[in-house]
Amino acid sequence: MSVDATAIVSPPTRTVVVDTLRDEAGVWLFVFKTLLAFYLTGWLAMRFSLAQPSTAMLTVIIVANRQSGMVLAKSFYRAIGTLAGAVAAFVIVGLFPQQRELFLLALSLWIGLCAGGATLYRNFKSYAFVLGGYTAAIIAVPVINHPPAVFDSAVARISEVLLALMVSGAVNDVVLPSRMRDVLRRTARAQFAHFIGFVQGSTGGTIPRDAMENAHLRFVRDAVTLEDLRSSVIFEDAEARARSGHLKLFNQRFMAASTSFQSLHHLINRLQRNGQTASAKAIIELYAPIGAALDAPIEAGAAAAILLPRLVAARKTMAARAPLLRHGLVGPNAVRDFDTGASLLLRFVEELHDYVESAASLQAPRLVLRTPERVNFERGNDFASAGLAVFRTTLTMLVLGMFWIDSAWPMGGSAMLIATIFAGLFATAADPVRATRSILAGYATGMTAGFLCVFFVLTRMDGYGLLVAGTAPFLMVGLMLLMQPSVASYGLGGCMGFAYILAVKNPMVFDPSSFLNDVIAQLIGLSAAAIAFIVVPPAIGSHWLRRRQLERLRRQVTLAAEAPLAGLRQRFESVNHDLFSQIVAQTAPGSADSRALIAWALAVHETGGALIALRQDRLTHRMPEEVDRCIAVAIDALARFYERPDSAGYARTRDAVANAIDRASAEPSARPLLDHLHLIRLALLDGESAIADYMSPTPAAQESTHAS
Amino acid sequence: MPREIALGDALVPGLLLLFVFSLALLWLIDWLAGRFGLYRLVWHPPVFRLALFVCVFGGLALLLF
Repeated sequence: MSVDATAIVSPPTRTVVVDTLRDEAGVWLFVFKTLLAFYLTGWLAMRFSLAQPSTAMLTVIIVANRQSGMVLAKSFYRAIGTLAGAVAAFVIVGLFPQQRELFLLALSLWIGLCAGGATLYRNFKSYAFVLGGYTAAIIAVPVINHPPAVFDSAVARISEVLLALMVSGAVNDVVLPSRMRDVLRRTARAQFAHFIGFVQGSTGGTIPRDAMENAHLRFVRDAVTLEDLRSSVIFEDAEARARSGHLKLFNQRFMAASTSFQSLHHLINRLQRNGQTASAKAIIELYAPIGAALDAPIEAGAAAAILLPRLVAARKTMAARAPLLRHGLVGPNAVRDFDTGASLLLRFVEELHDYVESAASLQAPRLVLRTPERVNFERGNDFASAGLAVFRTTLTMLVLGMFWIDSAWPMGGSAMLIATIFAGLFATAADPVRATRSILAGYATGMTAGFLCVFFVLTRMDGYGLLVAGTAPFLMVGLMLLMQPSVASYGLGGCMGFAYILAVKNPMVFDPSSFLNDVIAQLIGLSAAAIAFIVVPPAIGSHWLRRRQLERLRRQVTLAAEAPLAGLRQRFESVNHDLFSQIVAQTAPGSADSRALIAWALAVHETGGALIALRQDRLTHRMPEEVDRCIAVAIDALARFYERPDSAGYARTRDAVANAIDRASAEPSARPLLDHLHLIRLALLDGESAIADYMSPTPAAQESTHAS
Repeated sequence: MPREIALGDALVPGLLLLFVFSLALLWLIDWLAGRFGLYRLVWHPPVFRLALFVCVFGGLALLLF
């Protein structure tokens, strides 16, 4: 005991010190790598006598990130955006070389459209759009008085940016890279272990509703995180890229399996609440072999492959056990409930097997040379908020452009550029006003530091080595700030302001008056962006957008009911997950809003999943016209109800589904469809779900006893 | 191969085209190596990749000069 006690007491100080050092070492490594890339780029840009080495150096700062994969991903999309922006600048200057009003209008529209496009994507894809917008401005605005120079301007800009991207990509990839591959591997493994553990732990029967909600939250977050990581890691690791398809499939199967799993548990819960304990017990008993099969130690290595034969065996046991359990039930309703549960359970085992199989193929050291089926993680986007971003950015540009023309302000172009950059960059941020404000503060600080550096330090320096020595200490502070999450945007502003205003050239120019004019223009431009965010507030986080997202989520059921079936399951699942994670990220956890949303998400998820399965079976099973028509009416009623939920619609849907069940149960060929219909019906009658509000009290109670 | 090539009447250094070509070639090699797990045989894949690129590009550039 005493040995244990000392062992517990002494490590803390040591671990704390070691952890701190490891953390600090990571930060310093980042600072060192960024500085290396920064000065290497500057030196090369000067050797190649590019027009503005400072642009290249600024680019290094912008793509700087602790993770190598992030740098590479961001660089990749930045390169695409820069090239697209250059082409756009070309076209715009070519169309309106002489009319400055039309030129500014076209440019503003292009930038606005790019900012709108950026809100439609997560990750760095949105960054490519922002870049496409402001690169056009950066290339076209300086040559507004001398259009023939646009080609040179474009070439200079592209070479500066691409040089910086290549250098920082190479430095981050080669010099002590910090890999996200391991994070991805750990995340995938944790997702797998958690899900298997959860399934195994819940074979005992009921899970309370809030535990289900939490589990759903966790499943969704796991799926979305994995997708986000995957989209960055493929840039840093050739093997991860080769396995990317497998990883997508793994994630897709995870979503499918977790959906069936949740439906199953909702069903068991409902049966128990309605007093149908016999059939609930039978389902739980049928379920037990899965728990036994999964009861294997999950460790690194070939663990997933171990589970496969066990699952196959469990499926056999279940198939043998089902008729016995069914035989033991009394009454047609209990048998019907059991059948519904059993078919759901079989589907779940199928999907679980697929999921484990793809996990096993991911864990295998050698890649199986078989192209997995193509799956895509689709996102749920809102075009209204994109339209808002278009409007805001275009408006900012137009106002600044008009001010520039009317006041004939020499630095107007510079102010306009910086406003564009930030209006685009923060269109997707959660709280852009605050972000812009702290960037603005950072920018001001960075430019003050730049002033000190340029006029008090660099005037005494000579040669590139001394330039590095003179500027590095200022930049180090900014980069350190950048690594502290609480002041990251301040630090980013500081670094960008410093690198911008430094305007390293060869030979260096020292001109305090143009320096100060530029500082003022920058600050005005940034403030204009901040004001734009106040005047046209972003939709993210607003009540309006939340209502729209909720509508969109409900319309997922309509999608499940009406969209073409090919690939629909994956489309439904991934859009659902994406929408849900957006909503969760934008609402306070535990608030009334968030609870209502989660309740709706669960209802949509379950009903939509069942609807897709129903439609798939309806295609493969031929049945009389009459029955088929009834089922079509029920599907349509469901779609309408979820589109616009009200009490009348609820009653109509309930009756349509009941009618379809009556017709289908009289028809032996419609037998497999009956299970799905029954599942939908039970979900409709659930008194604890989101749609409970639309049930009129008395008939619902009658219906529920009648149905069960 | 000429040292400068006119693309749409803009003079482009031949080296640039070779650079782009080497990038494409490297991308192909990278894809194959990832596909067959060849990077497991290498101590530091990114350095190897960079070195390979320098070799490929340098070798091709020797054709010009």
